[in-house]
Amino acid sequence: MNRDFKNLEEDIRNHIEEEVAENVARGLAPKEARYEALKKFGNLLRVQEDSRAIWLPIWLEQLFQDCRYATRTYRRNKLFSAAVVLTIALGIGLNTAMFSVVNAVLLRPLPFPDPERLVAYYDGISAVKAEPFKSGIIGADFAEWRAHAKSFQYLAGYQYQDTTLATATEANRVRSIVTAGDFWPLTGVKLALGRFLPGSESAEGVILSHRAFQRQFGGDTRVIGMTVVLGGRTRMITGVLPADFRFLFPQDRSGFDWPEPDAYVPSPPLLRWDRSRVFIVGKLNTGATAPAALAELRGIQQTNLASYPDRWFAGVDRMLLQPLRERLTGSARQALLILQAAGFFVLLIACANIANLLLARTSARRREISIRVALGAGKERVIRQFFAEGLLLAMFGALAGLLLANALVKTFSILGPAVNPRMSEVAIDVRVLAFTVAVTLLSALLFCIGPVAVLWRKDSRLAVTNRGCPANDGLVRLNAHRLLVAAELAMAVVLLAGAGLMAKSFLILHASIPGFEPARTLILRMSFTKQPYKARGPLISKLDQILTGIESLPGVQFAGIAEKQSYLLQTASGRPAIVDRFDEFLVSPGYFPAVGMRLIAGRWLVPGDAPDAAVINETFARRAFGALDPIGREIAKLGRAVRVVGVVANLKYQNLDAEPGPELFRGYAHNIAGLPAISIVARVKGDPSAIAAAARSRIRAIEPQESIYGIQTLADALSDSIAPRRFNLVLLVSFAAIALLMAIVGIYGVVSYSVTQRTREIGVRLALGAPPWSVTSMLIKQGMGFCLAGILAGLAGAHGLTRWIAGMLYAVESNDPSVMASVAALLLTVAFLACAIPASRATRTDPLLSLRHD
Amino acid sequence: MSIRTDAPRVELLQGTLDLLILQTLLPGRAHGNAIAKAIERNSEDVLQIEQGSLYPALHRLIKRGWIAAEDGISENNRKAKYYRLTPKGRKQLTIETSKWDKLAQAIGRILGPAREGGTS
Repeated sequence: MNRDFKNLEEDIRNHIEEEVAENVARGLAPKEARYEALKKFGNLLRVQEDSRAIWLPIWLEQLFQDCRYATRTYRRNKLFSAAVVLTIALGIGLNTAMFSVVNAVLLRPLPFPDPERLVAYYDGISAVKAEPFKSGIIGADFAEWRAHAKSFQYLAGYQYQDTTLATATEANRVRSIVTAGDFWPLTGVKLALGRFLPGSESAEGVILSHRAFQRQFGGDTRVIGMTVVLGGRTRMITGVLPADFRFLFPQDRSGFDWPEPDAYVPSPPLLRWDRSRVFIVGKLNTGATAPAALAELRGIQQTNLASYPDRWFAGVDRMLLQPLRERLTGSARQALLILQAAGFFVLLIACANIANLLLARTSARRREISIRVALGAGKERVIRQFFAEGLLLAMFGALAGLLLANALVKTFSILGPAVNPRMSEVAIDVRVLAFTVAVTLLSALLFCIGPVAVLWRKDSRLAVTNRGCPANDGLVRLNAHRLLVAAELAMAVVLLAGAGLMAKSFLILHASIPGFEPARTLILRMSFTKQPYKARGPLISKLDQILTGIESLPGVQFAGIAEKQSYLLQTASGRPAIVDRFDEFLVSPGYFPAVGMRLIAGRWLVPGDAPDAAVINETFARRAFGALDPIGREIAKLGRAVRVVGVVANLKYQNLDAEPGPELFRGYAHNIAGLPAISIVARVKGDPSAIAAAARSRIRAIEPQESIYGIQTLADALSDSIAPRRFNLVLLVSFAAIALLMAIVGIYGVVSYSVTQRTREIGVRLALGAPPWSVTSMLIKQGMGFCLAGILAGLAGAHGLTRWIAGMLYAVESNDPSVMASVAALLLTVAFLACAIPASRATRTDPLLSLRHD
Repeated sequence: MSIRTDAPRVELLQGTLDLLILQTLLPGRAHGNAIAKAIERNSEDVLQIEQGSLYPALHRLIKRGWIAAEDGISENNRKAKYYRLTPKGRKQLTIETSKWDKLAQAIGRILGPAREGGTS
């Protein structure tokens, strides 16, 4: 350490010898002289400690001592230590895992240069509320913005297309991004292979994701310059993105997942982007603010609109800019914060349980503490000892908790992208570890406060006595136990109420609809990429062959095909023009029964229908025609009229989470064209996976060239569509279950403890002739008293808190009485059992034995 | 500090021990016992320091770099550690002294009228 520090003892000894010598010189006897010198010097040990403390914080030294002592104590109480470490590990593990999600999704900056300057443009039309307008800007607008806006360093537009990436040997369904403007400079990405070509707006190039490069080209670095067919168009590979590049920009969640794009192509000349959804992202100049940039864009757009008077636009006041990170996080923010709060509740309950255990042990350790005090340990030293012990427990708990968190984080990152685009980044990093440390310290503090407070109160009476303390002393501690358990119960009620509400939403979402049997509905997807199928004749005949082949499979009841397309604009005749986004399906007649749709007006499509015959769903009918009868009416769709022949009931077969949007169905025979990507839907009887295999080989036999992919049941596809909801539900239900379990353990522990404490009293009662049942019921009544208080407090808390999860519920009020009542009933039952079991055990002992216990 | 009743003595104000040590070391180096003695003597035995409390103070001053320790032989021919002022300590002494003067004057000014009128 330090020379001065090392010589301290010697220096002090010399000092005292000097003093002794002087005293002797003054004529004192040697013994007297030494005594005087020591008296004058003061407390030798204290001086040494204080001087050393200048160099080495003494508390650190004592902490080591305390920890050594604590380790010895815990080694003697293995069961106790294991219980505590396990409880705290659960609490810390869950919170760490939860925080790693919060960190990845909400806190970590986007992996682009200057991420705080990135903004996303949108039209301010909420996707959640069913607003009739969905807009997009057209290429001309974007070109004007880019030419005139001064607030942006970069402005980029993009669209996505789900299409087919084909090589000579293999075709895959991919999401491709059509980019315009400064997309690549904005991302700041450096290509792993190849380079960005200048003047790329006209180039027939394509940049591949690292994943596609690995999957379809085996990571062969000679791919640059090779040609592929993307969506029927031959393109040359000009670059490969690095493995860590992620497309973290808004995409409509139109599919069942949030796919990572695999191909990036430059856009055709911008003016050809017409009436389609264009996403705009920008990077602000340093010093520019989002509101100022928005004001500038609105000004430019105002001028634009003046030059196209007949064009529809949502309105400049609907134009909005939002920091890109917020846009990506979306509604996940609230859910994650709520789950993190729920995690804290679990941790608090865990701490309360541990505090209960420690409190009980404090009384058992009375004698030990008294001895330490008698030997000269100060009050704060004993209390520090308690904190050190708590800290040690919390640390072991945290280590075990990190193992748990690590396992959870791995699961999360697999579930990842379906829940949130940034979920795949979930990992335990420095920030998460810092959080874990903070939570560990906090929990150590929390579960030590109780025992320390009890010690503090009694400090004056800490004396070595043979046994226990005054009777009311135990009562004080028992009240502390009860308070903790009541608090646990209250928190468990809140968690269970939240979980119950979400579970009820989930059940409603999954409620069965007559005729709709997603578990027995099989979907296969298939893309046509080969040249002959560009012509309609060969395509239709091949489709018919496939359809017949599937229908004739044993176990298949109905089969149909559909090609789905999305359109933006349509006008209903006889009504004011409306603008809306809708899905058009080109279907074979068998598609309706295969999916399980129900006709509510008009008729189904039949083979041989006119090309313009269309069936629409309820949403479409309502938006386009209101109260009018839609049958026989015309819809002008991109200039060509279609005629409504039937209306089907709304059916959530694309996305469970929201009411279906407008849908329109037409016959495929006259309308399907180009190289389509189709879904083959089959209603089956029997094992879907066996039939899926049979269907696959049947199609192979009919069409060996084109690939089949994405085989799953409709039920699986739908469950993907509610992945975020399921993620929230699973987590909240697990948290609530753990909370309930811990609360039960807490109640059981406290009632058992009070029974043990009162063995003598119970013995006396029994000996004086009290019937056992009356003693049992007294114990249960006293136990249920605080349980009831906790449950009531919890219901009150739930009443106030559950409105925060209203946004995560579906068709359930946040104060749903049936859920609240079930939660209360469940907790009352388990609380009763947890009280009754230890209480009934108390009276089973022989009164004489109980009396002798003391 | 322990309570001594044998003489009318004054306990040190918090933080003044450092200043006194620095002042004592101004003429030259001294060992622990000599420092304690010098403080008592120079205050005409009004200030009585518990000798032990000197040592934490000395170590604090070493840590701050205001004094340094070196080995030597005491007048009684005993090995002793000698403490001397460093240039930094010398500067600090000036600062501390002027601070003290200001404080003493200020307190004096406040107490002044009370002393005049309150001695009856």
